[in-house]
Amino acid sequence: MAIALTFGLWSFKYRIGEFSRAGPGLFPLLVSSLLLLVGAFTVVRSRFVKAERIDFNFRNIALVIASLCGFVLLSEHLNMIAGIAFMVFCASFAGTSYSVARNLKISAGLIVIALALQRLLGLNLPLF
Amino acid sequence: MDVLHNLAFGFEHALTLHNLMYCAIGCAVGTLVGLLPGLGPLATISLLLPLTYSIPTGGALIMLAGIYYGAQYGDSVSAITMKIPHASSIVACIDGYQMTLKGKTGLALFTAGISSFIGGTVAIVVLSTLAPMLGEVAFLFGPADYCALMLTGFVCVSFVTTGSLLNGLAMTMIGVLLGQVGTDVNSGVPRFTMDLPFLADGIGLISIALGCFGIAEITKNLDNRNEHTPFNGKIHLIPSWPEFKRIIPSALRGSAIGSLLGILPGGGPVLAQFGAYAAEKRFSKYRQEIGSGAIEGVAGQAAADEAAARTSFIPLMSIGIPENAVMALMLAAFIVKGVQPGPNMIASHPDLFWGLVASMWVGNVFLVILNVPLVRYWLSVFKIPYSVLFPSILFFCCIGTFSINNSLQDIYITATFGFIGYMFLRLDLEPAPLLLGFILGPMLEENFRRALLLSRGHFIPFLTRPISGTLLALIAIFIAWQVFAFLAQARRTTAVAAP
Repeated sequence: MAIALTFGLWSFKYRIGEFSRAGPGLFPLLVSSLLLLVGAFTVVRSRFVKAERIDFNFRNIALVIASLCGFVLLSEHLNMIAGIAFMVFCASFAGTSYSVARNLKISAGLIVIALALQRLLGLNLPLF
Repeated sequence: MDVLHNLAFGFEHALTLHNLMYCAIGCAVGTLVGLLPGLGPLATISLLLPLTYSIPTGGALIMLAGIYYGAQYGDSVSAITMKIPHASSIVACIDGYQMTLKGKTGLALFTAGISSFIGGTVAIVVLSTLAPMLGEVAFLFGPADYCALMLTGFVCVSFVTTGSLLNGLAMTMIGVLLGQVGTDVNSGVPRFTMDLPFLADGIGLISIALGCFGIAEITKNLDNRNEHTPFNGKIHLIPSWPEFKRIIPSALRGSAIGSLLGILPGGGPVLAQFGAYAAEKRFSKYRQEIGSGAIEGVAGQAAADEAAARTSFIPLMSIGIPENAVMALMLAAFIVKGVQPGPNMIASHPDLFWGLVASMWVGNVFLVILNVPLVRYWLSVFKIPYSVLFPSILFFCCIGTFSINNSLQDIYITATFGFIGYMFLRLDLEPAPLLLGFILGPMLEENFRRALLLSRGHFIPFLTRPISGTLLALIAIFIAWQVFAFLAQARRTTAVAAP
């Protein structure tokens, strides 16, 4: 397994560890201290392993997350049909090619599926 | 005789028209989604879990099981024809794809189908004899033993799925901590909710599963951007008699190995495939050919794969402890449906238990019917471009998350976990142990507290009770071995680096 563990990631985990001390109960404290231990071990180990660069493609994940959040906001304030259309258009920016006609077709298809789910399976979708 | 009687009882339930339909739908949909590049069984089950909410309990469980082994099989089909491996079908790529290169795709698929059928059948015999027996044993388990068993599961899963104990354990613990979010069962104090009302019930399992496995996986696939060319070759299915004869012994060996490795904690299809493949390399009559497209290389692993997929239900249904992440998801599905798997399940829901067991065999038959003659049509799934597929998958993730609580806010959580899961994947950290930790975390805490309550705060019973003592000793030995291995390796590297 390619080890590419940066100290940053592990300090992030530390914070989870420390954070849980505030909570009630003995168990989270126990688990988080164990996690702290494992984190410390990893830091020790990472000194022995050559660091590797990780390439993140933030553009894609950001687009996907944005389309999800947009879907929620639009469905909440407008309706889900707009949400679906927005999601398809926004998410396909992350794809290899972009075509408005195809996106319209996909949106239409998904809206039909959503309608079918609402009518046939009785899901309570706020479509309108 | 008892077993036969029970199985007959199970078939009575599995063969009702409705349940047959659910089983067929489960297998078909599972195969379909499993075929899609990048979606393994975990993603498939979490995507399709919401579909089962409006179905009666028995049918829902049957359908879920169908989805599971359908996905498992769909995986191996995409592995054989196009060398698209998922975690669950790495081994199928080796010989299966070699056979495709030699123009023997049909033979490979037929071998995989028949071997899966044999593996599944053997596993069901094992399941129906062993599960009730193990259920009896499970009555002896106290809270401390459950704790030890879960810890063993954590350690094994961490090691098996990630190959690195530390990373796996870290993931498991993060999962356990995530499971702590929500209202504390014992005291009613809200923990880690940041005063957000939708966190008071805890983080939804589906949000985590869909985020980490659905959204993160497809985004990762988007990054790779290599469009797979759909398979267009000819498929000649029926093998000659000598070829057929070569399938049987390997498939039987694979079934035995798979059934055994499926039961062990941390085991399951992945481990079973590797075990069976290694066994074929060592014991098969044609061992020289393995690796370059031998029937045995496909038959053994396919049988082991399906066998383990079924026997991994044994610990879940007889003890109530899932042994890997997929089974943890199943456990969650059982609980959603109001069934608590465990020693009492066989006694209190015999119709569910034996119906499920029998439906596994029915599902086996469906898989062979669906897949062997119709495989050509399945493969046309790959002709759908990814730019169409991927918004649709996103859409289903949203609908799935939404339909649980009719809450749109839950999609934010899914999106968050999509991001976290994506980071994990990019850092080569496998999120499966996280899911296991998340589902088992609350159970572990409950049993842990109960054990401490019984022993009045002493830890000694954990060590002196025979079952928990043995398990904890095994964990300790395993960890010690890992530490020594690491130290030895570190010394070697520093020795090399020094001069």
